[in-house]
Amino acid sequence: MSPLLSVVSSLALWVGSALLVASVAIIRPRRLYGLWNDLRDRLWEIRKPLAALVVVLIASAIGRSSLQTVSELFGLQLTWAIYALEGNFVAWLQATFGSPQLTMYFSSVYVYGYVFLLAFPFLAYLALPRTTTVKRLLVAYALNYAIGLVLYTVVFAYGPRNVMPDMVTSLLFTHNPEFMALTGEVNEPTNVFPSLHTSLSVTVGTFAVLTRREYPLWTPLAAWLAASVVIATMYLGIHWLTDVIGGTALALGAVSLSYRLVDEE
Amino acid sequence: MARHVSRRETLAGVGIAALSAGCLDRTRNIAGRDRSSQLTLEINAPPADRDPNAIRIARHLAENLNAVGIDARINTLGLTDLRRKVLINHNFDVYVGQFREAEPFDPDAMYAFTHSQFVAESGWQNPFGFTDINGTDELLASQRRTGGDERREAVEDLQRTLCELQPFTVVAFPDPLTAVREDRFENWTNRQPLSVGGLLGVERVDAGDGDADGTGTESGDGTAAGETTAGDDETTAGDNETTAGDDETTAGDNETTANGLIGDNPFTDSGDEEGDSATLRLVTTDERITQNWNPIAAEYRRYGTFTSLLYDRLALVEDGEIIPWLAAGWERVGDSGIEVSLRDVDWHDGKPVTAEDVAFTYEFLQDTSMGTTESPVPTPTFRGRVSAVDEATAVDEITVRLTLDGVNDAVGVRALQVPILPKHIWEERTDVATIAGFEVDAETTEAVVTNNEDPIGSGPVRFVEASPEESVAFERNPDHFLVRADDGDDSTGDAMDPLAGIPERFRGKPAFDRLEIEVMGSDIAAVQAVGDGFADATVSNLGPDAVPRIGREADARLVTGRSGGFYHVGYNTRRAPLSNPRFRGVLASLIDKRSLVDIAFDGYAEAAASPLAAAPEWVPSDLQWGDGETDPVHPFVGEPGSLDAETARDRLREAGYRFDEEGRLIAPGA
Repeated sequence: MSPLLSVVSSLALWVGSALLVASVAIIRPRRLYGLWNDLRDRLWEIRKPLAALVVVLIASAIGRSSLQTVSELFGLQLTWAIYALEGNFVAWLQATFGSPQLTMYFSSVYVYGYVFLLAFPFLAYLALPRTTTVKRLLVAYALNYAIGLVLYTVVFAYGPRNVMPDMVTSLLFTHNPEFMALTGEVNEPTNVFPSLHTSLSVTVGTFAVLTRREYPLWTPLAAWLAASVVIATMYLGIHWLTDVIGGTALALGAVSLSYRLVDEE
Repeated sequence: MARHVSRRETLAGVGIAALSAGCLDRTRNIAGRDRSSQLTLEINAPPADRDPNAIRIARHLAENLNAVGIDARINTLGLTDLRRKVLINHNFDVYVGQFREAEPFDPDAMYAFTHSQFVAESGWQNPFGFTDINGTDELLASQRRTGGDERREAVEDLQRTLCELQPFTVVAFPDPLTAVREDRFENWTNRQPLSVGGLLGVERVDAGDGDADGTGTESGDGTAAGETTAGDDETTAGDNETTAGDDETTAGDNETTANGLIGDNPFTDSGDEEGDSATLRLVTTDERITQNWNPIAAEYRRYGTFTSLLYDRLALVEDGEIIPWLAAGWERVGDSGIEVSLRDVDWHDGKPVTAEDVAFTYEFLQDTSMGTTESPVPTPTFRGRVSAVDEATAVDEITVRLTLDGVNDAVGVRALQVPILPKHIWEERTDVATIAGFEVDAETTEAVVTNNEDPIGSGPVRFVEASPEESVAFERNPDHFLVRADDGDDSTGDAMDPLAGIPERFRGKPAFDRLEIEVMGSDIAAVQAVGDGFADATVSNLGPDAVPRIGREADARLVTGRSGGFYHVGYNTRRAPLSNPRFRGVLASLIDKRSLVDIAFDGYAEAAASPLAAAPEWVPSDLQWGDGETDPVHPFVGEPGSLDAETARDRLREAGYRFDEEGRLIAPGA
């Protein structure tokens, strides 16, 4: 089996099981039944934001390589500026907290935890009687991707593991080179600013806080996972602190914009 | 600081001061001067994923530059962008890179690299803009024309001059490390596992398959295979026997050590996996071979190994041995002529390779516009080699006469090592390059910028397919002279051996039916792919994190040899203060080559002062790098591993540079 296939199937297996458990524990069977009976209507209701997200994702998949070329030719080469801004923060983070256990934890959070974190709220909010939240979530996802893609094109920069390999170990890929097959499919090494892992995680975290009344159990779990993903991006040597701050700003902007775009019913 | 403030106050008071005429002059005298600022140098290097060693050298240099008060900024760029910036646009301060020769090379390789006649050209010729008319230029010219001791002296002086003037600083010659697994292909050389010779020398592990393979793809008939082997001339048959014998002993060894191998062999023999088992799978972190197959494109070629498999050269030099390749042989005619007779070969599209093609290639590489532009547009690679050829003319269908520019034999042989291009394809590419019909730059022809999709060469492999940035596949060329002549019936055997001059190890090769190269995310992922059995060998450089991993992978083995591709720090001598050889000398002494070999290369490299250190017979004793000693010309300032910044600053002060109160080096007026 090729490395990519084995990573993807293990990902599907683990995230699938986690979704199942979390659905029962957090969404609760009653709502899940409701969702099952009403699924077609609800999907129809959210067709517009869903289509928007799909369009953005397809555009990103198709246009990424040409935008990458544009970025190489005309993008702002800012690797040095980011490094000048924050210096050895990521190296310090690794040197201070690095341990095999944490590496294992953050590696799995970065890959498995992240996918779960993005997938679960879609289910959870779709199970709510009103579709406003799920619409907002989809819009926020789409905004994250769309704005992220524009920034990737404008900013041409490499992450710490590529710039200072003498100080920052590429922990994810050193210990789990098979993950590279996966991340290589969805990401270019020059797409570091902003960190999309951060922005999408923070987006989910923000929604979790805003919907704490509906899903009180989800809020702390989402906050924990989102924080872990955010730290993982730096701990694993993939992103700069600057990317994380940029990602957080993007997330907050996307959430507030999604509230403006999708009105309360 | 105080001085800065007073100047600022002066400038702020311009309005009032301007009221008096005398003061206006004074103001002009001050305000008219450029404000002094700290010197900034941009160091360009590929990111760690693409080249794990270069970025470490860049980091080391940047750190030491910052320590002496120069604002060093590292700019990471993809391999193609980096080359474009440095070699084509000359728009850089400093770069870290590798020389383009894979193997130890003749001193004449320095000709194109440092001769001032090439400053205005783009490509692998003098990217530094280095001009040393009376020293370097003359020595380069003289080593071309002289022989024996006279040449030796010129070459030694040339190295001394280059070491002193430092248009680039040689850092180290890396060992060409490769992780290989030997359960499917063996006989990886320990010299240059991934050179043309190395790849052609590789053998299939199971002897049975190897024979069937030898018949080529067109005749899969078992009896025919038996007949041809029998009918082959005696030496080949004898060699086949020893090869088979060798394999038997290998198999015997395996029985005791690795049972898995034995289990695999009958399986691969059994038929349906045949196609797969004849595929040599390589992994690289260098995506360029999946995008571009233009043998002369400077941005896309590293050593040009795979394009050399696509495009034959007249001669192949392996480990100092000169092998007539596309040429069946050559002889010197008169003072400056070589008459080359060609083998009977076809292009991949079936058209015959003629003397006309060879003559065209030499003319074309001198000027890829073939005289249609205002000034010639020479090739961005192989420039030094073709500059040794004055004229190339086809004498008849298979004989071509090269008139050399009075060069010695060694340089003449180098001139025979350029990719021979099919005229009927490349003569269409002599127009000025355009984007959507618009001329962007009159200095470039289509030939230089084309990706050369679906390349038609004459080499032992043919292009099959590629998916950019992911993978590329080549297949064995069943019509190549190595294969065809080896399979041919015995009637040709005695009259004129079609494989005259070709060593046994290449006859009937390559041993693979298909060659696949897959792009991996990093050197570690590449080593892992070999360890996990997804690939047979790594192509690109391996960094200090990847090398120890090879030992941990059960089936992977480390193969290493000698390389000519020295890592160097190149300076743009068109820009002040890099134009000053004294300044460059101080920069050279900021590079702790010895520590870098340990840190950036995990010890798998040789520190060096001279660019010719891979061929130690050329290096004079005063430039040789003794055991663990420091650089003989520009010794590192400080103890190994720790820079003495104050002494380095003193050196810069002696060279005429000044520092501000905070120890920052003030940029001299540009």
